[in-house]
Amino acid sequence: MTKTVIPFGPQHPVLPEPLHLKLVLQDEKVLEAVPAIGYVHRGLEKLTETKDITQNIFVVERICGICSFMHALAYCQGIETLMGVQVPDRARYLRVVWGELHRTHSHLLWLGLLADSFGFESLFMQAWRCREQVIDLMEQTAGSRIIISTNTVGGTRRDIGPEMLKHIVEVVGNVEKELKAISKVFLNDYTVQHRLRDVGTLTKEDAYQLGAVGPVARASGINQDMRTLGYAAYNELDFAPVVETAGDSYARTVVRLRELSQAIDLLRQVEAKIPAGEISVPVKGNPEGEIVSRVEQPRGEVLYYLKADGTKFLSRVRVRTPTFANIPALLHMLPGHLLSDVPVLILSIDPCISCTER
Amino acid sequence: MLENITDITSAQLWRETQKMRNDGYRFVTATCINLPDGSFDVLYHFDRDIGLKQYRLHVTAGEEIPSISHIFFCALLVENEIKELFGVNITDIVIDYGGHLLLSDGAPSTPMAGGQITIERR
Repeated sequence: MTKTVIPFGPQHPVLPEPLHLKLVLQDEKVLEAVPAIGYVHRGLEKLTETKDITQNIFVVERICGICSFMHALAYCQGIETLMGVQVPDRARYLRVVWGELHRTHSHLLWLGLLADSFGFESLFMQAWRCREQVIDLMEQTAGSRIIISTNTVGGTRRDIGPEMLKHIVEVVGNVEKELKAISKVFLNDYTVQHRLRDVGTLTKEDAYQLGAVGPVARASGINQDMRTLGYAAYNELDFAPVVETAGDSYARTVVRLRELSQAIDLLRQVEAKIPAGEISVPVKGNPEGEIVSRVEQPRGEVLYYLKADGTKFLSRVRVRTPTFANIPALLHMLPGHLLSDVPVLILSIDPCISCTER
Repeated sequence: MLENITDITSAQLWRETQKMRNDGYRFVTATCINLPDGSFDVLYHFDRDIGLKQYRLHVTAGEEIPSISHIFFCALLVENEIKELFGVNITDIVIDYGGHLLLSDGAPSTPMAGGQITIERR
């Protein structure tokens, strides 16, 4: 039987960012997939060598236009650890607020893209309509929709007052109600189930050995969430990693839907528990040494390695993003599936190519 | 500061990586740092139960080091990236992009290293 090599991407209606996959097919079945990336490589790690530790916050935020806040959070936490800075309690809770708002908007964005990948355009628009309410909250609290620049070394640059916190809880409560209606379609619709169940099944063993992280790993039964490290205020909040065991695209959808509800619950907890006080502390001097800082982005574990030499410039900033870790798992999932399943499979890992390539 | 880090040689790399796999660790990533004297440090980060363990491998310019992608398949992307951006000569990667993973043809080679090093361009 002859084999055909079909290029998937780098431009494809389903892909939010350029990713090129060379698919080796026999009839309609994928035998092998080889990724080609580099379309949005911006050399941001190199750029951080020329910016000082404060300017780098704004550089790392721009690694990704979806999980922007968490990049800055991981970076700031690394610098704070190197310098022995104690972040005020109120700032730690504020970081949870913006972090969970980012997680909410990211998962809603993904739900919309997933619906788009199997042609369910009205569901895609409903998910993104929901998401607009969360983006509006970020604009109201930080002045910007996604790249909110609220992190600084030593705390946060902005505060959220009690009235605004109450408003946030009301709005996400509304989002939760709308989400319930959308979730029924994602979870119960015959067509959606047909496109997601048993598609791209990743066993627990394979997910672990392939280094999968985030919802991809948790959908395969791996109980792993960097928020259990207790950074920001997560050690004072009540939550547990969301885990499913089926390992297919449907399980990855369920994990993200449940994490949406969990994020909304965390916001309620923060509103009830956030202490009064300062939002940042003055930071003097320069960092020295090397550190690894990890944070749970919507797509999974992001790792920041920072090396400082006592000056205001860092010798090295290394970023390992979750999609970078999940691409090998994607390459493992693709063989054996039909060409028509490829868009859904790729979307099911929630790829962020800007993060992958930096 | 960086905890749980052990210095190893390239001769020990395979053995220690296999030991990590046998002990139930997952491969997180590798970090390459170029040093002022033109050599490199390559850190290998492993994780088990949210606990990190690291190995530091000092590599002189031009020295060959073996790929660990035959043990941890997921290391292929980062090893290609290190080879392309730093010019560290990592041999026998399961899928070797020959310097074409991230950089376009007209880009300067090994931009993250101190000077330009060309291992191979295919």
